[in-house]
Amino acid sequence: MPAGAADLKALADRAVAEIAACPDDAALEAVRVRYLGRKDGEVTQATKKIATLPAPEKPAYGAAVNEARARIENALEGRGAALRGARVDHSLGEREDLTLPGRPVRIGRLHPITATIRDVSRVFATMGFETVEGPEIETDYYNFEALNIPPGHPAREKWDTLWVSNPLGDDPKKPLLGRTHTSPMQVRIMEQRKPPIRVVVPGRCYRYEATDAIHESILFQYEGLAIDEKLTMADLKGVLYSFARQIFGSKSNVRFRPDYFPFTEPSAEIAFSCVICEGKDPHCHTCGGDGWIEAAGCGMVHPDVLRRVGYDPDRYQGFAFGGGIERLAMVMSGVPDIRLFAQNDLGFLENF
Amino acid sequence: MLIRVPLSWLRVYVDVIISADDLAHRLHMSGTEVKGIERQKWDKIWVGRVAELSKHPNADKLTLATVDYGEGRRKIVVTGATNLKPGSTVAYGEVGAEYVDGHTGDRMVMKPKDMRGIKSEGMVLSQKELGLGEEHEGILLLDDTLPVGAPLSEALGETVLLLELQPNRPDCLGIVGVAREVAALLQQPLRDPAGDPPGKTAPNGLDVRIEDEGNCPRFAAARLENIRIGPSPEWMQQRLIAAGMRPISNVVDITNYVMLELGQPLHAYDLRQVKGGTLVARQARTGERLKTLDGIDRALPDGTLVIADEERVLGLAGIMGGEDSEIRMDTTTVALECASFSPKSVGATATKLGLRGSSGSAAARRFSWHLSPDLVPSALARAIQLLREHAGARHAGTVDRYPRPRALTPVRIPFAKFARHLGMEVTRDEAVAALNGLGFAVSEDGEALVARPPVARTDIAIPEDLIEEVARIVGYDRLPTRVPDGPLPLVEAHPREEFRERLRDALVGMGLQETVSYSLIDPAWLERLTADGTRITPYPLTIQNPTTPAQSAARPTLRASLLDTARRNLRHRDGVAIFEISPVYLPRAHDLPEERWIAAVLLAGAAHGESWLGPARRYDLWDLKAIIDGTFAKLHVGDLGSAHVGAPGLHPGRSERRGPDERTALTWGQLDPRVADLWELPEETFVGELDVAALLERVAPPQVGPPPRYPAAIRDLGVVLDETTPYAAVLEAVRAAGKALVESVSLVDLYRGPQAGEGKKSFTIRLVLRSPEGTLTDADVERAVKRIEGRLLHQHGATIRT
Repeated sequence: MPAGAADLKALADRAVAEIAACPDDAALEAVRVRYLGRKDGEVTQATKKIATLPAPEKPAYGAAVNEARARIENALEGRGAALRGARVDHSLGEREDLTLPGRPVRIGRLHPITATIRDVSRVFATMGFETVEGPEIETDYYNFEALNIPPGHPAREKWDTLWVSNPLGDDPKKPLLGRTHTSPMQVRIMEQRKPPIRVVVPGRCYRYEATDAIHESILFQYEGLAIDEKLTMADLKGVLYSFARQIFGSKSNVRFRPDYFPFTEPSAEIAFSCVICEGKDPHCHTCGGDGWIEAAGCGMVHPDVLRRVGYDPDRYQGFAFGGGIERLAMVMSGVPDIRLFAQNDLGFLENF
Repeated sequence: MLIRVPLSWLRVYVDVIISADDLAHRLHMSGTEVKGIERQKWDKIWVGRVAELSKHPNADKLTLATVDYGEGRRKIVVTGATNLKPGSTVAYGEVGAEYVDGHTGDRMVMKPKDMRGIKSEGMVLSQKELGLGEEHEGILLLDDTLPVGAPLSEALGETVLLLELQPNRPDCLGIVGVAREVAALLQQPLRDPAGDPPGKTAPNGLDVRIEDEGNCPRFAAARLENIRIGPSPEWMQQRLIAAGMRPISNVVDITNYVMLELGQPLHAYDLRQVKGGTLVARQARTGERLKTLDGIDRALPDGTLVIADEERVLGLAGIMGGEDSEIRMDTTTVALECASFSPKSVGATATKLGLRGSSGSAAARRFSWHLSPDLVPSALARAIQLLREHAGARHAGTVDRYPRPRALTPVRIPFAKFARHLGMEVTRDEAVAALNGLGFAVSEDGEALVARPPVARTDIAIPEDLIEEVARIVGYDRLPTRVPDGPLPLVEAHPREEFRERLRDALVGMGLQETVSYSLIDPAWLERLTADGTRITPYPLTIQNPTTPAQSAARPTLRASLLDTARRNLRHRDGVAIFEISPVYLPRAHDLPEERWIAAVLLAGAAHGESWLGPARRYDLWDLKAIIDGTFAKLHVGDLGSAHVGAPGLHPGRSERRGPDERTALTWGQLDPRVADLWELPEETFVGELDVAALLERVAPPQVGPPPRYPAAIRDLGVVLDETTPYAAVLEAVRAAGKALVESVSLVDLYRGPQAGEGKKSFTIRLVLRSPEGTLTDADVERAVKRIEGRLLHQHGATIRT
């Protein structure tokens, strides 16, 4: 055995013994650094020494270094595996209290108005209705006149109006207002497009109105419009029936009752069957006990409205409908007061 | 408009062969909305007679009334009313009776009350307390022939339908109009009370003249002599009360009765007060005034249509008469006006004078709708008939000016059109029967139907109107449900809305709660967004008639709304992380405002509370930055362009605007702590505002290749720099020098202190280097790192720490 080789064997023996005695990963790492560390490890030092030896001694000494290194590495690996195994065995015996609360995290949510608008758009999309949007601040023309409600028309009392003033100057010929309904978009869309038309228009509306649990002066509506050559009142009923089934479930139903809107003829009020009491609770807060929730207005688009946008009412016909977003959200979630939506109490919003 | 239809009155004109509940349902489902059915219960309320009256010993304004209510029952009640006399017949409510509070309108239960030392056992009741109307001035005096001791419900009981009418149906403002609906629904004959038109004999000493035909298309008047003013008959008074009106005297009651019966308001003048004997419908002249029947002396605004004699204004046309010419106890000769006025003119004037709405003028409410001018002769004839029967009147001629009678054109509709619009078959017989039942004159013309509406209707002009009439009588219930077929339109792309919704989802994904707040705000809020009150936005659009000053400006920024929402929530929470995406309204000259969609974010207070896993942590600037950067990364929003430190209303050194000068795409940072204080918010409140359309312009869809195949080399670099050199400059230098090899750079430490030196800071940046072409050798990595170090040294005077 050449000089030094015996020392290396002793070094390896010592290292292997130390490794076997290591109680944990930290001790094992310390031993590794002591012997195999890149700068000062004892085996590393021995390796560096090879270059300084006379040529004939190099092979034998080198082999001894390699053998020592291999033994130490083996021992490290073996001891590491043993320690890991013991740790896993120990861990498998542990029983955590899984009822402890998790790490605090903030959960983001959509506002129920947004969520409801998306529901409406999604459901009507299944029937080929494209969602479009339009201006909230409108002209008297689109909000009223184009919809057969000229100034002084008695029906204006159905839509008490918030009138808007422009700081850059008001044009008395073109008064501005907060749109009282999403219906002006019927006219704008028909002006821009040719039949067939199928659109749904969600958006904010404004009313000069005292607020209470079921009335808001700033509110959201959805408007639907479908025009082609053959659409009928029965198609309108079918579309709204489909809508009710998708929003409130397959058991729900719709009821049509005659109503009056100057821009539709015939006109109807739509009621959805009460999903809360199913018509069984005479004191139901949602439907008032008669089993029906009056939710929207609709009708066949008035021929004068069609004529005004350049459609020939002898060729084209169709229907329009409009309802309240908050009203839907209230029925779906049992919210008792419409004003809660705009209060934005986070404790309230977190329930959706 | 809400009207009250007493069932007993309705039955005068049509046989109601079904129950009140069934009738209400049928009316409701055929388009006449029934708001409710009022039934008087009147438990423990009796017909009573005042046996004795005496003064209250301890109170001048109170009276003690001893009331008999049959079978020897007698109680003393204390009352403040002054219209009782011994022998008055009254409604007496025992202790335990339900009544309506005369002041609050609440339902109450009668309790024995001690009033100034005298125990009042029950009450004598006013019209309002009985729920019969609004009158609460005195006790309701009943017909003296009613049997004392009878339950009031038997003596006066009435079922009243409360109908909410739509403005296209002024014909139903008369109970006869409602009866016409009932007749059609129940297929019963209608008994129309309208009398024969009055003769054409012109009266002596009475004429009418129309000077404003546009606003008064028809004007008729009758002269009635020998009138004896007195109470109207009991049955008439009871019907008026049940319908919600107060009986006054025979002449006034008859005009009101005819109004309720046929829908047409009338007005009676004392002819003595009509100077010159001519009633003129004309525009008010500048400076004219009138003291109206309600005792108010009014200046008449421009555009007011008045009824005048040759000298002065007598009344507001279609709204209210004047005090001067009202019917008095000694009136013997009456000019009875029955006219047609334009809804627009009456509506506008009534609004200006505050006489619109349910508390205003009953006539004005009716004339605000398009009443049929053809009601004029029949209503006048009916009133004349009643005045002769119940006021001893002698009819001395009628004048009726109607220069341009409306054409009563029949409407023609091909039978096939019913099915074409309704999507259900309606037989010829059904259509004809429905229209006949509603009082239309119907004939058939080959394949079409021709229908002339009853004269009271003003809402039938086109075939579609007939479709609705037929459908609502046949029943909307019969409409089938169909899924529409036919061609579907091409659908347009909506990139902006789509991006906006993905932005909403991204912010929700970051753990923020969405809020939706009022888009109309208090304009004063806009002066509280900077420490010195200067505005951060243009002057807003304002509401001319706001419901409240708190909603009188169309918001030009979302910031105020967000601060308000945060402030209200932080009163009872320790932290908020919220956002809103909504348009702001920016005025444009001669145009609709721009509605610019903004996403606004606010963080304040605790990011999360203390828990067993660790201490609480408050939001800081870097939370906001992470939300913005993370959102941009997720939505592929690229470089926004030039950046400016400081933004109005935000902390000058901890905020930034990005984007082109003409349109800021992003504003973010810490709210100016002085502004935070104004809003009672934590000193450290953070806001970000993102312009949706401007961000969308910077979106570059990702070009995605396969994942890397070769390993990365990771090196940490210590760089000491001047405090003024921003991190972004370092980043830029690293990327420029490292070229394509730099896959990512992260800042793992920032140190300021003695070891960096005065005015210096030290970054530790971690470089991830990778080549798509092969594994990087140590030499490749060393070369790249040297280049980067060289660049930092050369460009920014950096010292490299080892």
